[in-house]
Amino acid sequence: MSHENTVKENTEARKIQLKNFLKANGLGDIEPEDAVKMAFMSEYKTLSPSAKRGYVNAKQFFNAYNFNTSGEFEYHHVAWRSLFVPTEIMYAMNLIPYTTEMVASQLAMAGASSERIETAEGSNFSGDLCSFMKTVAGGVIENIFPTPDILLTSTHICDPSAKYAEIASHVYKRPEFVLDIPYGIYDLYRNKKNKADEKRIEEAVEYVTEQFYEMIEFVTQKTGLELDEKKLKQICKWTNEARKYLDEGNNIILYERTSSKKGIKELDYAANLMQTWGTEEIVDVYKSRYEDYKKNQHEKREITVPRIAWFHLRPYFKNQLMSYLDEKIEISGSQVNFVFFDELDPEDPVRSIARRTVMHPAYSSVMARTTIAIDKIPEDTSGIIAYYPKSCRHFHGGAIMENEMFKKAGIPILTIDGDCVDDRGDDFPIVKTRVDRFLKAISK
Amino acid sequence: MKKTGWFCTYTPVELIHAANTIPYGIRNDSKAEHEDVLLGDSMCSYVRSCMGGALTNAYDDLSGVVIAHSCECMRRLSDGWAFRQNQIKPKLIHILDIPKIVTESSIKFFAGSLKRLKNDLENEYGPISDESIFESIEKYKTTRILFTQVEDMRKNIDSAVTGLEVEELVNDYFAMPVEVFNEKLKKFIDEKKDLKSDDLKPRIMIAGGPGNKSLIKAIEEAGALCVCENMCTGSRAFAGTYGDEKDPFELLARLYLEKNPCPRMLGEKSRYKTDELPRLINDYKVDGIIYFSMKFCANMQMDWALLKNHTDIDIPMKVIEGDISSEINEREVYSFVKRLKKRKKKNES
Ligand code: SF4
Ligand code: SF4
Repeated sequence: MSHENTVKENTEARKIQLKNFLKANGLGDIEPEDAVKMAFMSEYKTLSPSAKRGYVNAKQFFNAYNFNTSGEFEYHHVAWRSLFVPTEIMYAMNLIPYTTEMVASQLAMAGASSERIETAEGSNFSGDLCSFMKTVAGGVIENIFPTPDILLTSTHICDPSAKYAEIASHVYKRPEFVLDIPYGIYDLYRNKKNKADEKRIEEAVEYVTEQFYEMIEFVTQKTGLELDEKKLKQICKWTNEARKYLDEGNNIILYERTSSKKGIKELDYAANLMQTWGTEEIVDVYKSRYEDYKKNQHEKREITVPRIAWFHLRPYFKNQLMSYLDEKIEISGSQVNFVFFDELDPEDPVRSIARRTVMHPAYSSVMARTTIAIDKIPEDTSGIIAYYPKSCRHFHGGAIMENEMFKKAGIPILTIDGDCVDDRGDDFPIVKTRVDRFLKAISK
Repeated sequence: MKKTGWFCTYTPVELIHAANTIPYGIRNDSKAEHEDVLLGDSMCSYVRSCMGGALTNAYDDLSGVVIAHSCECMRRLSDGWAFRQNQIKPKLIHILDIPKIVTESSIKFFAGSLKRLKNDLENEYGPISDESIFESIEKYKTTRILFTQVEDMRKNIDSAVTGLEVEELVNDYFAMPVEVFNEKLKKFIDEKKDLKSDDLKPRIMIAGGPGNKSLIKAIEEAGALCVCENMCTGSRAFAGTYGDEKDPFELLARLYLEKNPCPRMLGEKSRYKTDELPRLINDYKVDGIIYFSMKFCANMQMDWALLKNHTDIDIPMKVIEGDISSEINEREVYSFVKRLKKRKKKNES
């Protein structure tokens, strides 16, 4: 199909899909234009740092359905993206990233994920598959997501996400490009013994750099969009700036103290997973967060509630656990916000993005990623709570080893086997008992 | 002679053989799945069986293992193995990353990984020359040629080769020195080549990854014939076409990556798989497909959803979700076979 026809088809399809999406969220009687206006009622400048983050996400979300923030039509080229496909390259090509895992969590927040999961399970998707991807699969069957112009998939992290993208490409009949990211390069970097190891790391960077250029060519071929090199340089600078503010904000809460109210909202930055890297807005979001923490920074003093470093994500559906914890603990840091990568090089952007991609510690052994955390977490942290969805092999499958390592390092840890988007097995009283026991133990 | 274990059929066993060790395919149930106290219950049972086996000395007669990073569960197996290295006997652990796409650059990159594997094998077992790698390649080429002859026999409507017999052959391949196995294959072919069966049973293809030892038995006891195991414990272990590369690593990289893909593969190669299936159905004259989907294996589970929901396969297909060691529900298999029998009869009349 010519791209012109794709645009025509997508334009029509997305109108219906947004209506379907609203309906699935219990907002079927609201016109899409009104829904957009409602989402952007407050002026951006007046918002709190966390609300600014929500604003940016909402803007991109509606853009993907061809609405701008005033509720007017504006066609956007949408690329379905799996986690860690670099958004900088996408923005420099004028593509809006659409990260399916993130949409699944939005559905969960609106209480609309379990129904989608049931749709998927009734359509040959196995019950023990990752619930994020089942939510997406159900949503695709119910036609609530915007038809993409293209799909960009990475082998990073987990199998279900990459495999599902393949299915989505069949369903929407849209081209898919797959990035093959070598595994364990971060391990090699940490343990490198000789010149051969160094050479291998560079080969991996080169392999991924080449693939990025192939991806750029593929996008151009399929959509007519070209890479704006000047823009990419600027985008890399924004990423570097955002990175700096994120890190400085993290340092305040991890190593110093602030009286700014963070609560569980701190977890929702989930910076490493976000599709906003490379936007000007995200610089402002992390800058506002940093300034807010800095303004209220104060001396360390006797703690009244345990300071907990949080690992992985949280339940996004309506739940009692997080509000309970909000009263009982102070979140001193969130693993998904830790800055693991070096600055990008605006003079050699594609290669430096490739280096960041292959060096991602989450795509390494449990031992490597746990060691980083042990090094990073200060001694006055009371403990760690790790919330792992049981259907996530990548994180849940490493929990026992991780536990052993943290305990050896003298850091108490509680692992909660839960789910982030599927509330069907949510059992607060049981989890609460475990949490209470843990908090009691660490307070001694 | 020393033995080196391997797990995934994307592992070029030729290199292990060239290191003067016997490649040993850890493909079957160790019966110690419940002894895996390290990876936990979100892992596939194949990986838990391997981990449990390692922790209970099941692989103590091996000198080393090559753990392929074929999927997210194998990734955690490599962690578990390294984490408990002091308790597990095989000394060498090599983690072999395997690309999920097939392009010229992924082949080149994989060739680089194979050179690193060779270096690790050399450190453990002594020098490996290019000549010895080519010699091993020749031996395994013979295996592939012979196994293809077996598969060709199975394509005949009056084939006298049963699924159980092939299952036994595949198990021997995982455990025996290739030289002995090749002789066994030749003998099998000689014995079977003139035999014909006049009992025309429904012909079943099993698809998936690693299998379950009771499945073929259950299918054949229910009155059907397994004619093709499109699995890594089946024909995919012998698939591949040889190129003419002068560099043994590039030759092996292409041979393995370009073979009939398993559910872990992505991109064009994976799309090819959905086109390839109708050809296999036609060649083997398949009446029905049983997809054995390993629980907690996202690759297979997604693969099944894709096949079932988005391909135009016009023969009956059934999924059986199970573990490497689970009992097969014989009644479920029986009713599927019964359905195929009825359909076959109807089509013939
Ligand atoms: S299914 Fe594929 S990746 Fe998994 S063990 Fe078999 S060949 Fe290897
Ligand atoms: S069965 Fe699936 S999850 Fe298990 S090792 Fe094979 S490909 Fe990986």
